[in-house]
Amino acid sequence: MPTSGSKALKWGWQVACLCLLGIFVPALVTSLGYSLTDALGPGPGFFPFWLSLIGAVLSAAMLVQVTLAKADESSAIGFALDRRNALRAIGVVIALAAAAALFEPLGYRLTMLAFIIGVLLILGARSPVAIVLTALAGSFGVFHVFYHWLKVPLPIDAFGV
Amino acid sequence: MDTLAHLMAGLTAALSFQNLAFAFVGCMLGTLIGVLPGLGPAAGTAILIPLTFNLDPTGALIMLAAIYYGAMYGGTVTSVLINVPGEAASVITCIDGHEMAKQGRGGTALGIAAIGSFVGGMVATIALIIVAPPLAQIALKFGPPEFFALMLVGLCLITGLGGGSVLAGLIMAILGLLIAMVGIDPVRGAPRFTLGIPSLYDGVGFIPVVMGLFGVAEILLGIQQPRRQIIKADLASLLPSRAEWRRSVGAIGRGTGIGFFLGLIPGVGSIIPTFVAYVFEKRLSKTPERFGHGAIEGVAAPESANNAYANAAMIPLLTLGIPSSPTIAVLMGAFIVNGLTPGPFLFQERPDLVWAVIASFFLGNILLLVLNLPFVGLWARILHLPYPYVCAGTLVFCLIGAYSLEQNVFHIGVMIVCGIIGYGMRRIDMPIAPLVLGLILGPFLEKSLRTSLEMSAGDFSIFLTRPLCLTLLVLAAIVLVASALRLQPRELQEASTS
Repeated sequence: MPTSGSKALKWGWQVACLCLLGIFVPALVTSLGYSLTDALGPGPGFFPFWLSLIGAVLSAAMLVQVTLAKADESSAIGFALDRRNALRAIGVVIALAAAAALFEPLGYRLTMLAFIIGVLLILGARSPVAIVLTALAGSFGVFHVFYHWLKVPLPIDAFGV
Repeated sequence: MDTLAHLMAGLTAALSFQNLAFAFVGCMLGTLIGVLPGLGPAAGTAILIPLTFNLDPTGALIMLAAIYYGAMYGGTVTSVLINVPGEAASVITCIDGHEMAKQGRGGTALGIAAIGSFVGGMVATIALIIVAPPLAQIALKFGPPEFFALMLVGLCLITGLGGGSVLAGLIMAILGLLIAMVGIDPVRGAPRFTLGIPSLYDGVGFIPVVMGLFGVAEILLGIQQPRRQIIKADLASLLPSRAEWRRSVGAIGRGTGIGFFLGLIPGVGSIIPTFVAYVFEKRLSKTPERFGHGAIEGVAAPESANNAYANAAMIPLLTLGIPSSPTIAVLMGAFIVNGLTPGPFLFQERPDLVWAVIASFFLGNILLLVLNLPFVGLWARILHLPYPYVCAGTLVFCLIGAYSLEQNVFHIGVMIVCGIIGYGMRRIDMPIAPLVLGLILGPFLEKSLRTSLEMSAGDFSIFLTRPLCLTLLVLAAIVLVASALRLQPRELQEASTS
């Protein structure tokens, strides 16, 4: 936790504290709906209630501490994001989400074929032969190893691909 | 005598062709993971869990344990050749290991690292065999209040000794415990925090969370890190000269001792033993000015400590059910996926499995030495693999692992969300280890707390009237207060903040 640091880092910690409060406070309210005690002693809501309460109080304390900390722009360089790489990271997350959405409808092999080609292009791989070979190995090859040899069930689409 | 008989039975099981093959594959994959920069042992072990889904539990755990200590060694190669640690424990090896490589002594650095790791691993495994059975016997006498207090000590140690802010660590541990509450209440059967989503009735899967926090997050971070130049190491001479041997022997012995004893303490983490071993060696040296300029002791001591730690850290897991680090927590998750709960009862219920896994540590260490000395050139070549291909391969394994756990796409979603959260946490340097430990210990902690309170009809004094329980609770409080006040030895403080 920064007692000093760049404004961006301080902002990051403040956002994190608010996110934590956004988890602990609703959890606290929800846990009140579960019984805290019952005939045998503590109920299902006992542990979540106390965890949420302590978590919320500590998160609020950390938010105050971070907000009162000094900001020092000299340490901003390490936190700065390179725009191109940030876009690449976002691209990878979108590719993962797309793969999750298509995993069952398209089956493992076709989804992974498209996913690997997409990720490699996003990350700057340029050799078409290497991209195609990697995609084939990661889709059809890996499927064969996991599905047939290791007996790990992977999705197959309606056409058997 | 009983221990020896169990060990022999375990060795027989571990020496079966199938288990030997699992140990071999595990060592290879583990070293590969360690070699690939940006992919640590926790992420590596997590993403390779799906390989073991349909293996018998003994084979699965032998392979995962081999992946774990293989990865602990593999990080050395990148530390020496490109000055980038493959995993956190290898950070300190960069200092003198990379200097040795620049002086054309890269082969010797990797050689002494392999030998030191072997000695550290073997000695720690022997000590594990001596220490684990009596410790498990003592732990059998623990009741739910003692287990609750013990898990609390473990969490406090991880929060306090992990470095960074104790307050942030505490919040992360609480968050982990709270996430563990999602799903059906284990005692009463009532659903909690499920938001009406059927996939959450079984709780938030530990494996997708860990794959996200470590695997996906590390990939996202890796995209933004510049690639380093690889030093072409002279790998012809792997064995040290006579003078280098003389300097290394003591360093290996001391590193092993430090690694073993620090491995017994949950929360110390893998970086601290290596750092302490390095600082200790430098202080003991008559020529400390050589350190930082290619001193062989600067590689031998931390590498021995690293592997001794890796093996010793299995003791709290196997005997008490307390994971010492995120990677050990992943291994604990693998035990649970296989229907086993690590702890003292495992020695009674499945001695065949426990002793086969322990015996496999011996074989794994021998395999690592055999693999690492002749194959150093191969590992060095793998460093040339372009990052986009490493990234794509890792993500494929993450997707398979998250999905195949329950053949449910929902877990892929959990993994992606945790990946983004893990990335954000790493960017601002928020501790992840307490969250992971809280998540894995949550169900056990809650169960022991509620069983304790049921025993006393809701009276909290049960935790204060049992001497061992009270002692452990006081210890947990001391650890937390001392960490908050930063009352640690100087070496530990330096290691925590490095």
